[in-house]
Amino acid sequence: MVEEKKQLTLVLGVIGADVHAVGNRILEYAFTEAGFKVVNIGVMASQEEFINAAVETNANAILVSSLYGHGEIDCRGLREKAVEAGIGDIKLYVGGNLVVGKQDWQAVEKKFLAMGFDRAYPPGTMPQEAIDDLLMDFGFVQKC
Amino acid sequence: MQLTNKRLEWDQFLEIRREILNSWPTGQEVDLEEAIAYQSKIPDNRRFAKKLETAKQEGITLAQPRAGVALVNEHIELLRYLETEGEADLLPTTIDSYTRQNRYNEAQAGIDESRSVGRSMLNGFPAVNHGVVACRQVVESVISPVQVRHGTPDARLLTEISLAGGFTAYEGGGISYNIPYAKDVPLERSIRDWQYADRLVGYYEERGISINREPFGPLTGTLVPPCISHSIAILEALLAAEQGVKSLTLGYGQCGNLTQDVAAIRSLEELADEYLSRFGYQDTVVTTVFHQWMGGFPQDESKAFGVISWGAATAALAKATKVIVKTPHEAMGIPTKEANASGIKATKQILNMLKDQPLMQSQELTEEKELIKAETRAILEKLLEFGEGDIAVGTVRGFQAGVIDVPFAPSRYNAGKLLPARDYYGAVRLLDFGNLPFGEDIKEIHREKIAQRGKTEGREPSFQMVIDDIYAIGKGMLVGKVR
Repeated sequence: MVEEKKQLTLVLGVIGADVHAVGNRILEYAFTEAGFKVVNIGVMASQEEFINAAVETNANAILVSSLYGHGEIDCRGLREKAVEAGIGDIKLYVGGNLVVGKQDWQAVEKKFLAMGFDRAYPPGTMPQEAIDDLLMDFGFVQKC
Repeated sequence: MQLTNKRLEWDQFLEIRREILNSWPTGQEVDLEEAIAYQSKIPDNRRFAKKLETAKQEGITLAQPRAGVALVNEHIELLRYLETEGEADLLPTTIDSYTRQNRYNEAQAGIDESRSVGRSMLNGFPAVNHGVVACRQVVESVISPVQVRHGTPDARLLTEISLAGGFTAYEGGGISYNIPYAKDVPLERSIRDWQYADRLVGYYEERGISINREPFGPLTGTLVPPCISHSIAILEALLAAEQGVKSLTLGYGQCGNLTQDVAAIRSLEELADEYLSRFGYQDTVVTTVFHQWMGGFPQDESKAFGVISWGAATAALAKATKVIVKTPHEAMGIPTKEANASGIKATKQILNMLKDQPLMQSQELTEEKELIKAETRAILEKLLEFGEGDIAVGTVRGFQAGVIDVPFAPSRYNAGKLLPARDYYGAVRLLDFGNLPFGEDIKEIHREKIAQRGKTEGREPSFQMVIDDIYAIGKGMLVGKVR
C-alpha cells in the first residue's frame, strides 16, 4: 500500500469521443482501494482536460483509457502538450483497445511508446498490473 | 420551447430542417421529394421492415452483424463479404464515434488518414461526411436491407442523409442514444432532437415508405436488468409512434440466464403492445431484437464462440425477430471481416438448428415474465404520474429523480445509483435499488435471491461482487464467484 504521506496522484480518464464508462468506474475504484489519490475526469476527455487536470492537481501520472479504436488519433501529441504545459516529465500510461482491428500487440505498444507513453497495456489487462507498475515506477517497494 | 410528447408541427419541423441541412456541406445534397422518389423504388425484399415482419410471421430469427469502416469502397467490400461469406440476413452500417458526436472535422481527418495509411483509422462509416450519393452506393451494392447503427445524441443530420441515402432502418432514440453515449447532453434536448428524427421517419411513412426504427436495447451493456431496458424501449416506442413511426424493433441485451432472457424478450413484446394500444397507436408493428452478450468477452476465440453461441441459442428459443451478432475478436475491439463473418456463421448454424424447437413452458419462466412486467409497469406508471400523463415530461423528471436509472452510464443526467448483481443462477438482480419505484414485494424477491448467492459464496454482497460479475464472462464464468 502507498503510505499516506507519499500518496501518488493519478489523473484518470477516457480520451476522445469514447464513452466507455464501465472500466473507468472500476479503475477509479481499484486505484482508490490501492491507496492512490484518483482524479477521475471521466469519459470523452480531451487531451487538454487531461493536461489541465494534471497541472491543477500536481499529479504524478496520467492514465489514459481508450476502448473504441480511435486511440491512435486521439493520443498523438499528448506528450508534447505535457511538455508545453511544463509537466514534460509526468508519467503517461495508456491502455485498452487502442487501435482499429486486431493488430500485433508488440507493434501497437511500440507505436504508443514512440508517442511518448511510458507504458501501454493491451486489452484485458487487470487493474492490479497497472497498480504494481505504478508502485515500481515510483520506487515503492513491491507489495507482493 | 417546452418539451412535450406531441407530434412536431410541420412548419416547426421545416424551420429546424433548414438549419440542420446547413450545418455541414453534405446536408445540401438532401432533397426530400427526390429522396422519397428514390426510396419508393426500393423493392420490398430489400426493405428492412418487410423482412422483419415476414420473419415474425414465420417465427424465425434473423442474424445481423455490426460493421463499418472509414472508406466507401472498403465498406462496400465489407458488407458484401458479410452477406456472401457470413450469410447475414440483415446488414448494418455502423457509424464512427466522431460522427456520433457531430465532430465531422475529426471524421474527415480520419477519412484522409485512412486513405493515406491504407487501413481504417475510424471505428465506423462516417456517413455524414461521405454524403447521400455514397450512402446510395452502399445500399445498392448488396441485396439485403441495410440499417444505420450508431450512438448519436443529436442525429438529425445523420437521419436526413441516411434516409435520403436509401437506408431502410435506423437505430437510436432520445434516451438510449444519450444516457449510455454522452456525458453532458440534457435529456430534454436529445428527446427533442430524436422527435425530429422520428418525425422525418413518420413523414416517409405518410408517403408510403416504411422505415424501421429501433431503440437501442442494451444501453450500457453492463448488467442492465430487463425492467430498465424495457422501460426505456417502451418510452422510445411511444415517443416514436407519436411522430408517426409504424415499424418498431425493440431490443434487449442478453444477461446470460436462459429463463430471464427468454422471459425478457417475451415480456418486452407484450408490454410494448399493451402500452402502444393504451395510448392509441394501433397500427404499429412491433418486432424484437436480442443482442448477444454486450459486456466483456473472453480473449480466447474459442471461448468467445461459446458466448456467441449461447446468445444465438437464447435468441432462437426466445423467438426474437433478429439477433445482433458478436465476433470472436470482441475482446480486442473492432473485428476483421473474417472474424465478423465467423460470428454470424456460428450464430446461423444454431438459429437453423433451433428454429423449430419450442422451449418447454415452466413455472419459473412464467414467474420471471410476471416479475419483469410488474417492475416495468411500476417504473412506467411512475413516469406517467411525474409527467402528468405526458411521457416525454415524465421521462425527464423521472431521470432527475432516479426512478428510472441506468447502471454504469456516463451521463450526468442519470442518477447512477443502481447496483446490479447476479443471483445464484446468474440472473441479473438489484443489490441497490437506488430510487426505483418498486414495492416491497418486488424488492423482497431481489433481496432474497442476492442473499442466497451471498450465502453460498460466504460473503456479503458488495461492489466487489458487482465487479466480479462484470469480469466473469471474460474470465470464463457467468457468475463472478470468489476464487
